[in-house]
Amino acid sequence: MADDEDDPSSREISKCWLAMKALERHDLDECLEHCNAALEKNPYDQQMWYIKTRCLTLKNWIDDTELEEEGVAEVLMDEHATAAMPRPGTSLRRPGTRTQTGMPNQGIRPTTSSGRPTTGFLRPGTSTRPMTNKGGVEGAFRGNRPGTTRPVTTSGRLVRLGTASMLAEPGGPFINVDKLDLRKYAQRPALARVLCDYILHHDRNPKKAVELASLATVNAGFDDWWWKHRLGKGYYQLGLLRDAEKQFKSSIADMPTIDATLQLANVYIRLDQPASAIRVYRAGQTQFPGETSMLLGEARIHDALNDMAAGVALYKNVLQWDATNVEAIACMGAHHFYTDQPEIALRFYRRLLMMGVNNTELWNNLGLCCFYASQYDMTLHCFERALQLADDDNMADVWFNVGQVAIGIGDLNLAEQAFKIAVSVDANHSESFNNMGVLDLRAGKVDQAIANFQTAHELLEFAHEPLYNAALTAFKLGQFQRAFEKVEKALENFPEHEDSLELRRQLVQHFNLL
Amino acid sequence: MCEYPIYVKALIKRQQGRIQESLQLFQAATALNPHNVANLKQVGRSLYLLGKHKAAVDVYDEAQRVSTAEDWEIWHNKGLCHMYLKQYDESVECFRSANDVQRHDTTYRQMGKVFTLQERYQEAVDVYLEALEFSPDNPELLTTVGLLYLRMGENYRAFEYLGNSLSVDPRDAKTILAAGSIIQDHNDMDGALIKYRVAAVQTPNSAQLWNNVGMCFFGKRKYIASIACLKRALYLDPFEWIIAYNLGLVHLTTGQCASAFHFFSSSINLKPDFPAAYMYLAVTLARLDDFENACAAYDRAAEIDGGADFTIRLNYAITLFNGGDAERSRTQFAEFEKAWLAADEESRAADPDVETQAETLRRALGL
Repeated sequence: MADDEDDPSSREISKCWLAMKALERHDLDECLEHCNAALEKNPYDQQMWYIKTRCLTLKNWIDDTELEEEGVAEVLMDEHATAAMPRPGTSLRRPGTRTQTGMPNQGIRPTTSSGRPTTGFLRPGTSTRPMTNKGGVEGAFRGNRPGTTRPVTTSGRLVRLGTASMLAEPGGPFINVDKLDLRKYAQRPALARVLCDYILHHDRNPKKAVELASLATVNAGFDDWWWKHRLGKGYYQLGLLRDAEKQFKSSIADMPTIDATLQLANVYIRLDQPASAIRVYRAGQTQFPGETSMLLGEARIHDALNDMAAGVALYKNVLQWDATNVEAIACMGAHHFYTDQPEIALRFYRRLLMMGVNNTELWNNLGLCCFYASQYDMTLHCFERALQLADDDNMADVWFNVGQVAIGIGDLNLAEQAFKIAVSVDANHSESFNNMGVLDLRAGKVDQAIANFQTAHELLEFAHEPLYNAALTAFKLGQFQRAFEKVEKALENFPEHEDSLELRRQLVQHFNLL
Repeated sequence: MCEYPIYVKALIKRQQGRIQESLQLFQAATALNPHNVANLKQVGRSLYLLGKHKAAVDVYDEAQRVSTAEDWEIWHNKGLCHMYLKQYDESVECFRSANDVQRHDTTYRQMGKVFTLQERYQEAVDVYLEALEFSPDNPELLTTVGLLYLRMGENYRAFEYLGNSLSVDPRDAKTILAAGSIIQDHNDMDGALIKYRVAAVQTPNSAQLWNNVGMCFFGKRKYIASIACLKRALYLDPFEWIIAYNLGLVHLTTGQCASAFHFFSSSINLKPDFPAAYMYLAVTLARLDDFENACAAYDRAAEIDGGADFTIRLNYAITLFNGGDAERSRTQFAEFEKAWLAADEESRAADPDVETQAETLRRALGL
């Protein structure tokens, strides 16, 4: 550049070209540098403005096809409920209502902290379930893990991201959207599109984006799929789900795209209409065969509805298209583990290991598979690795599993110590409290056991084990009232639990006797 | 204020499972009419349901003072309270008085339960049999008697009662399990499996069921299926030592001694006083070429067992002989012969393999 310093026009062009090239290379910082330099000279340079807008959008872009966590406001002020009546098998709120024979039920396959059957892969949003009413305000504020809180609203989190991205810029925000005359921009399709994406992904101001997109779609004569798609996105972020649904549908009718299909399915998931979401994914699969994100999306819904068999078939399909899909491999591993095939599960997890996944959870699962496949020499090594990699979030889980293995080899002292460590790492680890209660009960420390079961239940409302254990203990002590309360709650969480049913039968017999 | 509606309301509350509220209502009814025995009885019952057994006994004493006629219900409930207070003799006394007034199934059942808790099985059976005299078709009673006979080792009579119970209520999982285990003991594996299939529909998560199914497959020499079933059982109830023991047996049979060792050792950890587990542990250790520890395990097994089980001695002798210690082997073989002569006909006929093994060893030792 130093060579042609005296020719201003050529320098100008080369800056622009350099910025474009940097953008192509995704070297966003370099691109920004060029843009800033050029815009300082001439703030009205439209092509540089265009490039900088693209660049900032890309810099702050996050994949929004994954379902995000629901906020408190969404949970408490949900006005989209289609029916207040329970809809067994067709609602994400009550995953337990659909069980099929031949598949492991809650007794074998544990549930997550929010009552969903565990899958092999932790995803945002799917590990929590949309709240049932019994949680109330308190339940709504409670986050995924005990002791954490939910964000207030989903869009609130986006807004925060937006302010963060603005603060990161020296010299204030690049575009002040509030001052722009959107009507003017809407007439210029190319500029309007980058501006719209900028508002959505950089400023995170869906209200403005909707304003711009609705003006633009009018200008485009209501037949531009792109604008409808962005309009839907904006509505979705604003929580106007029915409007979003309309826009996405219309966009797909004009021009089927993967993104719009995924977003439309997300809308249905938020509306708690899993059957419609599955229909959308199926339609998308015929349009885009081999698109794994749709297959995965459908599989996740089946998982959330407790329909494992259908989910597994889809995961297999995903692996046929993409043999390195971590989520599908992990879910297959979990499925085989819970259907008494730890050896096969081991192979899936080893595949993950070979693909370079190296974290606590994987080593932990490998350790459990080795244990249940009777490969004892490997078990402890795996847990050692898991503990080396563990941090405060997941160390308790590893120690819990060490405790389980210790029970498996009959070393109850080690088991108790492991559970104690788990609790000391994470004071909210409900499962460990429950197991400590069982061990206490075996050691004859009844009061301590009852206290442990109580703690376990408070920390994890959706588990039936601590409730049933507490009920049984109370029953044996002759405290029928308490036993009845507990067993009722246990059955709420797991309606088919045979032992709880038997216990309740006996209690009712006691009550009805005159 | 009216007494009867309060009484009925309290009954409804109890049926809904709200004992505390129902107790308050009964107490209110008692306050209105302290001379009505029915109210007092219900107060007592509420206290019993709430687990306040001592207070309940006091209330029943009061009720007995107030009431003019003898009432079996008061005696029965008092017996229950004493049972929970672990005062078994008083409890039996109360149940007897209740039966003197009027005979009831429940009283017999509870009395049997008290005897069972004290491990006085014969008396418990007598009580149940008496109860069966006037209600011969009660499946629960039949099952309980069957289980007691099973526990006392009288398999034939146990099966009789369990069979009767099943003909009344063919779907009761507990009965099926017990009957199946007897059928299994008589080597009719397919028959037992058919029974278990009925039970599995109702209690798919029962560790005991899966354990028995696993051992059925073991009896049919389908080892893979057996291991799968037993492992599921162990997953469901890791504290059950016998599942680990069975898994050890299956693994030993399939020649996977290292796995067998782990299962036997966990079984012993959970139940340290079962001699057969030590013996099989010793066999496993011998196969793994750990002669020293195998001998230690045999010693322990013999120590717990006290010389009743001749297989321990025989296996010990064989292991010692294979380990090259003919001298000690001879002493153990002598012990074996002593136990063999002391054993009854049935246990001698149980495994014909013992005799051939003993014969081989005798020849090898040159006796």
